[in-house]
Amino acid sequence: MDSSLSRLYARRRRRNVMTMGLAYAATGFGLSWLVLILAVLLWEGFSGLSLAVFTEMTPPPGAAGGLLNPIMGSLVMTVIAVLIGTPLGILAGTYMAEYGRYDKLTSVVRFINDILLSAPSIVIGLFVYEIMVAQMGHFSGWAGAVSLAVIVVPVVVRTTEDMLTLVPDTLREAAASIGLPRSLMIQKVAYRAARAGMITGVLLAVARISGETAPLLFTALNNQFWSLDLNAPVASLPVVIFQFALSPYKDWQSLAWTGALIITLAVLALSIIARLLAAQRRSS
Amino acid sequence: MQPTGRSPVVDVALQGSGISIAEQVDRAKVLQRLRLGDVAFRNITRGAAVTVLVILGGIIISLVWGSLPALRAFGVSFLYEEVWNPVTEKFGAIAPIYGTVVTSFIAMLIAVPVGLFIALFLTELCPMWLRRPIGIAIELLAGIPSIIYGIWGLFVFAPFLQQYVQPFLITVFGPIPVLSTLFEGPPYGIGIFTAGLILAIMVLPFITSISRDVFEAVPPVLKEAAYGLGCTTWEVARYVVLPYTRVGVIGGVMLGLGRALGETMAVTFVIGNAHRISGSLLAPGTTISATIANEFTEAVGDLYTSALIALGLILFVITFIVLSIARLLLMRLNARIGV
Amino acid sequence: MSMAAITVPTVTHAPGNADDLTEKVSVRNLDFYYGDNRALKNINVSLYQGKVTAFIGPSGCGKSTLLRVLNRMYDLYPNQRATGHVTLDNEDILSPSQDLNLLRAKVGMVFQKPTPFPMTIFENIAFGIRLYERLSKSELEDRVRHALERAALWEEVKDKLGANGLSLSGGQQQRLCIARTVAVRPEVILFDEPCSALDPISTAKIEELIDELKDDYTIVIVTHNMQQAARVSDFTAFMYLGELVEFGETTRIFTNPNDRRTQDYITGRFG
Repeated sequence: MDSSLSRLYARRRRRNVMTMGLAYAATGFGLSWLVLILAVLLWEGFSGLSLAVFTEMTPPPGAAGGLLNPIMGSLVMTVIAVLIGTPLGILAGTYMAEYGRYDKLTSVVRFINDILLSAPSIVIGLFVYEIMVAQMGHFSGWAGAVSLAVIVVPVVVRTTEDMLTLVPDTLREAAASIGLPRSLMIQKVAYRAARAGMITGVLLAVARISGETAPLLFTALNNQFWSLDLNAPVASLPVVIFQFALSPYKDWQSLAWTGALIITLAVLALSIIARLLAAQRRSS
Repeated sequence: MQPTGRSPVVDVALQGSGISIAEQVDRAKVLQRLRLGDVAFRNITRGAAVTVLVILGGIIISLVWGSLPALRAFGVSFLYEEVWNPVTEKFGAIAPIYGTVVTSFIAMLIAVPVGLFIALFLTELCPMWLRRPIGIAIELLAGIPSIIYGIWGLFVFAPFLQQYVQPFLITVFGPIPVLSTLFEGPPYGIGIFTAGLILAIMVLPFITSISRDVFEAVPPVLKEAAYGLGCTTWEVARYVVLPYTRVGVIGGVMLGLGRALGETMAVTFVIGNAHRISGSLLAPGTTISATIANEFTEAVGDLYTSALIALGLILFVITFIVLSIARLLLMRLNARIGV
Repeated sequence: MSMAAITVPTVTHAPGNADDLTEKVSVRNLDFYYGDNRALKNINVSLYQGKVTAFIGPSGCGKSTLLRVLNRMYDLYPNQRATGHVTLDNEDILSPSQDLNLLRAKVGMVFQKPTPFPMTIFENIAFGIRLYERLSKSELEDRVRHALERAALWEEVKDKLGANGLSLSGGQQQRLCIARTVAVRPEVILFDEPCSALDPISTAKIEELIDELKDDYTIVIVTHNMQQAARVSDFTAFMYLGELVEFGETTRIFTNPNDRRTQDYITGRFG
């Protein structure tokens, strides 16, 4: 082979090896952050993990305590957010996939919904502050739940529309062919066929709001004590972590790590369940 | 045709397939009754879809309404004044805006090449059995809540940077004329640079998974044609895959950018919360979301609150534009590859 | 009106005997459009009570389109419309005042690909019945059993009525769909290439079924398999490029067609 040709080929080979090496390095780089973060989380959070965390209230600095009220507060607000956001999201997604599949309203809603999906959650917090907290004159757990609901809706709309669109039209026609009215066909056939996917969507929404802090900062605020009064500030795990981590007190910081571990485990568990459901659906 | 052993009574009742006139009328009545519910359901779903638009409208209206006092007081100067003084009630947004833009820029600078290379790895180099686990790992990275990044960043990453990386950077760039101001000490650990790095790690999984999805959508025949000519893997990636998926990759990058701009908790922990623009990346600063997160609950006075809401409005407008561009690009891509 | 539908029809399968023929569905000057594209051109045909009519023709000739006009299935989609007259028992089913669900309860359809609902076998059948009637548990069970018997599926599934409909084989699923259609007690049953996704044994079973069912229903079958049309139908309509080229008794169409195009298709000149 001509020597200049072989030099060219050698250069191309070198470049290829270099860039492939970069690809390997990039992957290692990306994965090592995951490992690092999870490792530190486990290390710091695990030592603080004890029964007391789940049974005692948040302590004043210097005292021992737990995370009971923020855990409870987060659970309550999450449940309410799901109860509000899921039906709204499912109904909207139903319109987009069934009745209005080809109309203008659906394309506009889809576009807007995708933007809301990635919108900064702190802006959502401001929005709910303006319409609820400012109007009511005080912070409240309801406002916190509503801000979480606003985050839930786009996720559920998206997955519902996607899952319902996957239901084959022949199934719809089969239902129509025995005279089934449209709404019954949707409720009894389409929903049933898309059920697993829609549940996955709800799980993903819950995973998403479990870690959301920003919208709660000025809607539900925080509460040092045990309170189930949703008309007043409510403690939540993310906000407590925020407060404790930024404080100068060692035991508060330790509780913050433990809380962070709890949230991460919850999010991981939900993602795993959602993934299992999706795999089950694929195999059936 | 012989009946198949049914009871004679049932036989008589079921003889012939037609139904009587009376039963037909009954059936019509049932369907009539169901019709009301049918129409109601349709309208309810339509209303729910419209509600999504109402939510967006509500966000815009409430932000504008809340910012009016500040905008009226400061006008356009709000966008370029650096002062942020709650006592004298003089507010200017340039420092938060600068911080938001710079941290996101640093994040994209790192996350885009790394993400593309990881996507390249996953589609071309990775052995089949490893692809799903790594893909899942990337998704896990995306699922970790931002406050976790924040607390990790504050207690682990920032000290690490302060101890090892930042002094190194200061010494390396010290002699170089322009870059030395960018990397001027002291090494705080926290600051704009750190925030940008953390954002990079957070945005990385998004860029990776979207890039991987569009890379996988390249028709194999295209790649095979290039390989058939003797192209190396890198050349196939650079001259076939990347141009083909350009629109999708840009869409993914814009999506990542949208997230980086709006990211709050991770940034709040490590940015240092200083309302000023410094020449050095290693100095503390602030972003729009970090400012709002830190100061909103302590804001006294309507003008202060309004200034913060005005910041939120600016952020929303910026992210809305970026995300719209991303959506439009991805829609165009979907139309082209017929998804 | 057709009170005559209630009595058991006399079992003479000898076509050509004009006294036997009651027109159940009448299609006159039917045009069909997908958007601006005219897919059916001036179709005129009669479907007779208690007889099997086959629509045959090459791919794209419009036979499935014509079938789907008969239960207005096209109404589910925008951009599809029909003009002309189609009457079922002297009622114009194309008129906007026609209750579509009522129409579809009268005119059932079996599809090319078996589409059982994602429910148990029992529920698949009971579902349609429950829509219109309030029955006691035992009455419902009787009706379900009857429908499954008529579809020649009862013996095979009687012990597993609680199993998911999708767990059956392809042929069984198709018979389940037939049972589901029969359970709602229609007057006309439309079959859209019901055997094209099935193996020969299942196909034979379904053809047998159609032969049994035609005593009580008016049946229309779309098929791309000419031999099947010849085996199963009393009347045949040959369609080509959106037009109804020829219509008549099956034996005559296959032995002595009037139109050149019919002849060419039958003899396999084009497929």
